[in-house]
Amino acid sequence: MGTPETAVKPTIIVDSRGTMCPGPITDLFRAYRNSNIGDVIELLATDPAAKSDTQAWAKRSGNEILAIIDEKDHVRIQVRVVKKGR
Amino acid sequence: MAANLLAKNLQEEIRTGQVGVHLVSCSEHHIFQPGYLHVAFKNQEPSQIVRDENTLLRREVHRINENAERLDLRGQAVTLTSGERLNYDHLIVATGSAPNPSAIPGLAEAALNFHTSPEESRKIWDTIEQFDGGHVVVGIAGVPHKCPPSPNEATFMVDDYFRNRGIREKVKITFVTPYPRAYPAEPISKVVEPRFRKRGIEVVTFFNVESVNSSKREIYSLEGESLSYDLLIMVPPHRGADVVVKSGIDDADGWIPTDKYTMRIQGYENAYAIGDATNIPVSKTGVTAHLEAIVASNNIISSVRKRKAVYKYNGRINCPFEMGDGRASFVVGSYDMPVKEIQPSRMRYAMKKAFGRFYWRTLSGNWDWLLEAYFGKTYRVETSQ
Repeated sequence: MGTPETAVKPTIIVDSRGTMCPGPITDLFRAYRNSNIGDVIELLATDPAAKSDTQAWAKRSGNEILAIIDEKDHVRIQVRVVKKGR
Repeated sequence: MAANLLAKNLQEEIRTGQVGVHLVSCSEHHIFQPGYLHVAFKNQEPSQIVRDENTLLRREVHRINENAERLDLRGQAVTLTSGERLNYDHLIVATGSAPNPSAIPGLAEAALNFHTSPEESRKIWDTIEQFDGGHVVVGIAGVPHKCPPSPNEATFMVDDYFRNRGIREKVKITFVTPYPRAYPAEPISKVVEPRFRKRGIEVVTFFNVESVNSSKREIYSLEGESLSYDLLIMVPPHRGADVVVKSGIDDADGWIPTDKYTMRIQGYENAYAIGDATNIPVSKTGVTAHLEAIVASNNIISSVRKRKAVYKYNGRINCPFEMGDGRASFVVGSYDMPVKEIQPSRMRYAMKKAFGRFYWRTLSGNWDWLLEAYFGKTYRVETSQ
């Protein structure tokens, strides 16, 4: 998978800027727990590990990375929830 | 701890009646929570990690034997369970976090845990003593939770226990975590994972527990996976205190929005939050609570004495981390210093044990010079305009 750069309107915005690992991925998991299929979670993060951790989680869980956008001082990662639970 | 620090440093003002330090708490006991692990996996007597709260308080502290029912930050008052309203000039909220097994269907019935009480921890010891073989699953059921090393530590201790009993080959041990690796911070995981491999401990990552079926003995993840077990030991997700939520001073997740430097509750000059109760981006541990208490109490003392000094916490964390076989590491970092790989050693294990014995004395507020000698500066002092 490449690094998509086209953002859509998110359903849930999770602002983890300023937190270090595992802050962003922890915040993402909390949003995922409360999400519905079809929701788009947008994670804002300054921690460099957020990108690779989110990509690895999406690959493993079968959820879809819609966009990874490098802003000036943070990254925006959009994930569409397409799989949750059994 | 915060009350003791205030009382110690404001003795003259208390003696002359200018200041009173009141502790609102009906908790009779103070528990050394890191000791839960040793009760659960090393047969330590629960009574050894519990002390009478009154014996730990300085005599200058006036303890109000009630809990807070509501915190009115705008009105500068705490409503007690009796209905009495207590006005304050300065407030420190240290309401902690509470394990919340009921947040995950089936978890409370199916899993043992070492985060709720000495008695619950003791149940783990009683159970593993009777366990003669099968699949032990240890892990993190949900986030956030206090004491980040503790799930890994428990796994090492389970392994040690069954090795010492001589039945390790009959026990399969699996560690489950929602995180991408065995420990959330990669440098520490690099220390943990080879040791898990060497001990034959399997790691299942990205497993956010959705529910547990105790009759089938299976746990299920939000990611769609399942795992069977014979013995389940899980750290439950934690939530903020009810009084914080009822008072409407929490963020969406039950934590108090707090300035991570001054420890002031956001939007309030004279109200502070410390420890697990806050939303600041550091681990929920006893050490951080202690260091935050120093900052909050110093800021209050500065205000009482009309000084311009503002104390700012640097985010220092320092978590002892037992890795089995009488060895320990530490998780050390701050806002500006990411955690680094520290190899476990017997010396660090001895340091952890020594701190456990020293803990009760640190609560008096008399030993902060020693903590400062060990930790270095954990705050900076600036001058307000």
